[in-house]
Amino acid sequence: MSGLAEVRDPARLGILANRVDGVVRKMANTLLRTGRSGVLNRARDFSCCIVTADGHLLSSADSLPIHVLSGPDLMAEAMVRFQPDLAPGDAFLNNSAYHGCSHPADHTLLAPVFDGMGRHRYTVLVKAHQADIGNSTPTTYFAAARDVYEEGALIFPSVQVQRDYEDIADFIRMCEARIRVPEQWRGDYAAMVGSARIGERELKALGEEIGWDELAAFCGSWFEYSERRMAAALRRLPNAVASRVSIHDPFPGTPSDGVPVRVIVRVQPEAGSIEVDLTDNLDCLPCGLNLSEACARTSAMLGVFNSIDGDVPKNAGAFRRISVRLRENCVVGIPRHPHSCSAATTNLADRVANCVQAALAEIGDGIGMAEYGAPIPATSPVISGVDPRNGKAYVNQMFLGGTSAPGRPGADAWLTGLHVGNAGLGFIDSVELSELYHPLHVAHRRLVRDSEGAGRFCGAPSLSVEYGPVGGWMDIAYVSDGNLNPAQGVRGGGVGGPADQWIRHADGTLERLPQAAQVRVQPGEFVIATCNGGGGYGPPRERDRQAVRRDLEAGLLSSERAAAVYGFET
Amino acid sequence: MRLACDTGGTFTDLIVERDDGSVAMFKAPTTPADPIEGVIAAIGLAAAADGADLAAFLRRVDTVIHGTTHAINAIVTGRTARTAFLTTAGHPDILVLREGGRANAFDHHLAYPSPYVPRALTFELPERIDHAGRITTPLDEARTAAILDRLEQLEVEAIACCLLWSITNPAHELRVGELIASRLPGVPYTLSHQLNPSLREFRRAISTAVDASLKPLMTRYLGSLHERLKTAGFSGRLLVQTSQGGMVGADALARTPIHSLNSGPSLAPVAGRAIAAVLEESGDIIVADTGGTTYDVTLIRDGRIPMTRETWIGRPYEGLMTGFPSVDVKSVGAGGGSIAWFDEGGLLRVGPNSAGSRPGPACFGQGGLEPTLTDAAVVLGHVDPDHFLGGAIPLDAAAARAAVERIAKPAGVSIEQMALAIRRMATENMVQAIQDITVRQGIDPAAATLIGGGGAAGLNSTLIGRRLGCRRVVVPFVGPCLSAAGALLSDIRAYFRATRFSETADFPFAVVNAVLAALSAQCREFAEGAGGDPGSTTIEFHAEARYPNQVWEIDVPFQTAKFVGAADVEALRQAFHAAHRSLFGYDDPGSEVEIVTWCAAVSIDLGRSGRAVLGQRDVELARPSHHRPMWFDDDPQPVRTPVFSLSEIAAQGDLSGPLVVETPFTTIVVDLLASCRLDDRIGLIISSGGAQ
Repeated sequence: MSGLAEVRDPARLGILANRVDGVVRKMANTLLRTGRSGVLNRARDFSCCIVTADGHLLSSADSLPIHVLSGPDLMAEAMVRFQPDLAPGDAFLNNSAYHGCSHPADHTLLAPVFDGMGRHRYTVLVKAHQADIGNSTPTTYFAAARDVYEEGALIFPSVQVQRDYEDIADFIRMCEARIRVPEQWRGDYAAMVGSARIGERELKALGEEIGWDELAAFCGSWFEYSERRMAAALRRLPNAVASRVSIHDPFPGTPSDGVPVRVIVRVQPEAGSIEVDLTDNLDCLPCGLNLSEACARTSAMLGVFNSIDGDVPKNAGAFRRISVRLRENCVVGIPRHPHSCSAATTNLADRVANCVQAALAEIGDGIGMAEYGAPIPATSPVISGVDPRNGKAYVNQMFLGGTSAPGRPGADAWLTGLHVGNAGLGFIDSVELSELYHPLHVAHRRLVRDSEGAGRFCGAPSLSVEYGPVGGWMDIAYVSDGNLNPAQGVRGGGVGGPADQWIRHADGTLERLPQAAQVRVQPGEFVIATCNGGGGYGPPRERDRQAVRRDLEAGLLSSERAAAVYGFET
Repeated sequence: MRLACDTGGTFTDLIVERDDGSVAMFKAPTTPADPIEGVIAAIGLAAAADGADLAAFLRRVDTVIHGTTHAINAIVTGRTARTAFLTTAGHPDILVLREGGRANAFDHHLAYPSPYVPRALTFELPERIDHAGRITTPLDEARTAAILDRLEQLEVEAIACCLLWSITNPAHELRVGELIASRLPGVPYTLSHQLNPSLREFRRAISTAVDASLKPLMTRYLGSLHERLKTAGFSGRLLVQTSQGGMVGADALARTPIHSLNSGPSLAPVAGRAIAAVLEESGDIIVADTGGTTYDVTLIRDGRIPMTRETWIGRPYEGLMTGFPSVDVKSVGAGGGSIAWFDEGGLLRVGPNSAGSRPGPACFGQGGLEPTLTDAAVVLGHVDPDHFLGGAIPLDAAAARAAVERIAKPAGVSIEQMALAIRRMATENMVQAIQDITVRQGIDPAAATLIGGGGAAGLNSTLIGRRLGCRRVVVPFVGPCLSAAGALLSDIRAYFRATRFSETADFPFAVVNAVLAALSAQCREFAEGAGGDPGSTTIEFHAEARYPNQVWEIDVPFQTAKFVGAADVEALRQAFHAAHRSLFGYDDPGSEVEIVTWCAAVSIDLGRSGRAVLGQRDVELARPSHHRPMWFDDDPQPVRTPVFSLSEIAAQGDLSGPLVVETPFTTIVVDLLASCRLDDRIGLIISSGGAQ
């Protein structure tokens, strides 16, 4: 135990933890309210966190899981390694999948925080998915990119962007010369700086108020507390080794039967620890699906945290109880430059996390979760073009909806979970806002009957969205896994509805679109996109009869399926 | 004579304002099965205190202002009308999908909330209008009529209609309204563009559904209240408090009952603002209301009561977002009944679970075993078990000690140390709620005055003020009935808004001026209907604006009712930059500004002075000052602590803590290092002792 006053004050630890989380929440609120692109201010695709100077994750309140469990630690270490002479007012940008970032679309701003004696104490991070990053095509998930060169994004491996609290103009000019709709990017960048500086200011105020050494002692105690919680949660699991395979659909650059992801999970309850082994997998592939190290680690950890007591704090203390085994040059491991990691936060990362939580579900009832449906369906496309209403270029990721969440041990899906990595924390675009902001018409958005992952607790039904451009062409890009390999159920639960995507031409004919593509849609044409549903948990015949009746009345379930799958007679 | 009667979860508060300006407070137990009974009982207490019978007393009353939890209770308990939802074909899941979002990525037990109107009662009308108001698919009236006939068979009691883009062209919604009136006469309905003309279809749809679902029951409730008051002898005007911090006639409220959702809590800030005015406090004001289970806070800047379009009933994302503009009251699960517990990592938590009023804190002796903030106050000696609420409820001190001991013993600390820790932890939860509305928006609470209302405010307001570094903490005389006091001080108010997208770069003077003229006309019409004369009527404008491509607008007040030239537009742009800087710490001075919605608020000043209402202190406790041993932070030993009544404090001038002030309705703790004095106009003024 440290020298913290906590020894005589049971309230002290909780109070300080609240205050540190409060700093992070304030950062997040600033970014949401002031960001310019829809991906930030409507979908909330960003995260804020605080790490200690030596790279231990302290707080990441309200962040997207795939963004933060690992990655901030690696980037904070890289910053110190590359920039040994840090000074107040510095800020650095990292979006390099080879230096700790999740994927190049997640621009991450790091600002070191100093005490009054000039000692680097903490680093605040703001990670925000950009509307565009200067890829060779207008998408931030370029699954077909053979390598980082074809991918084409500007890569910043911890590059200084502010000195003395002022922007370094060279950096701004580089980005403005290369990123589409540069004024939108600059607005987002300003919002990120605002958020990081607010975090820095609040953390300094806290350190000065209670004393920097006391704050450091708190971190030690908080990590110890979190580790105790994690160990206690893991001690409740049975002693088991579980393995599982989940297959990503074939895409350009992958083997013709897809990418199998194998995990082995070793639960050691007596030691209060757990290991996830990802080493028995393919080498890096000539496409954009390779995971960054941050996403490989995070997705494995995410599967574990989805399977245990959700109240365990997610920080470096709890992480001491998880070991993740990775290998170099592995498609779900540590990538080797110049392999592309363009879609690292979604496609294979989802397969890893799903595999871990589903494997854990099979070792005992009440543990784990079924699989989330696979991302990124054409209901969440990156769109670009020129708005005929004002002649201005636009690029943005739309979030017209995703209902891919799985059944859980004690509850049906959290319906609006888009994919395992964002866990439903993001927002869904309003039809009216979408049509106001972009030359777009949303013809329908509705849940699909009989597409739920049946179970004692059901996975979400698929969502179908039909949309098309108004007054001019529109490019849409998406990387929709799960057409062939939909979300699996666990413990006898059923499979969620598959993803699919069609185009309705102006003459009314329908044509199926490829799974990972960039498509130019003309006025009068409509894309009909369906997202994956989620897998079910437990046998459907054990489902509460009232719940089956409710789904029937809601029109989400046919009486034929109710009888055949749930054994429910009307 | 005017009465303000606010029905709360536990007590029905009444303030009587006599014609000579004098004021008296009363509390009667709330009667959940028939809340009107509690209202009549409270008035009965006032009549008795006046030595009159109820009928004679009520005949002298010209106005009754009522705050009610009837609407919100009906929603929480699912007793609203069987309501159908009509919307644009292709979009049946607006109420199911909501806006996405989730409070906690790892809480895998929490069920996804059911839609406010089930899918089975949702119907799609073939029609479509685009963002510019053009009809792209005409309304299929035959199909609509067939659906309405189906609603009759389904025994639907109310109808909510929200069509996409009705805010840019209401033709289809208006036609649906006509069809409902002709085919289903007597079935109440709400049209979204009339109730809440705002962008984002979910927000408009949910407020429309909530409003429609409340119509039958609020019409009955208010009709019955008025009837029973009349029967009891009342012949004056019945007004109801609104979520917008004002009041409207009972008939008007029955037509748009969503206005009464947050009827009580929304009026506390009105009282807070009046208190600040008497103190001539021009800085920021934090108004906090401590109840048994919730802690409600509001920040007042520049004398303006803040409004929000994101009000949640229940917790964010798991509860219900009403989508309707209302006073921005942040509510957290912390209060006198919050339960203290240890999690399995050994961390002390207080709340969010509450012992409520049943079983209540352990000291209530109703079977509660778990320790609460109130139990901690009893253990520490701050609350006298024999004089809680002036002795109305005797408390069981032994039960309080036993409850706290349950968690103190395993933690290896004394019962008193644990009680102090509970008090600090509860304080911290409340402090976080205040920081949410201040620090997070770049506002320094150290420069603010904290006003503590609610029956449990006195237990730890000094500590809250100290932790925030507030200059000054005020526990007003009217604190225990803060919302009712707010009602006596409020104006008759209404808000009107119109969504008209405009840019400062290419400002559409004619369009905007037409919108402002229409809003002014609506305001004047409301004022005339409510009996306001031009001299007492004020109209204020604000714009909901943002930088290009932002989507979360902020409110920017402006003075002009007509934009004449570039200077007027530039003034609005500069006001926006300043507001953005103040909220988020930076601005983008080179940028143009977009205005999404134009708003007007009309208020009719009833000419009441705050001083009379606020300066009236409670009936004094008939107890001489005395001493009790009490425990405080920073001292391991009990301290012999004086206990005063308000008038004794008045006689003493400045006093240093520790001390306790007791009134018939509350107990106010002034901790070590703090000091206090009585301000005859307002109540107790505490200097909390600075930052920790």
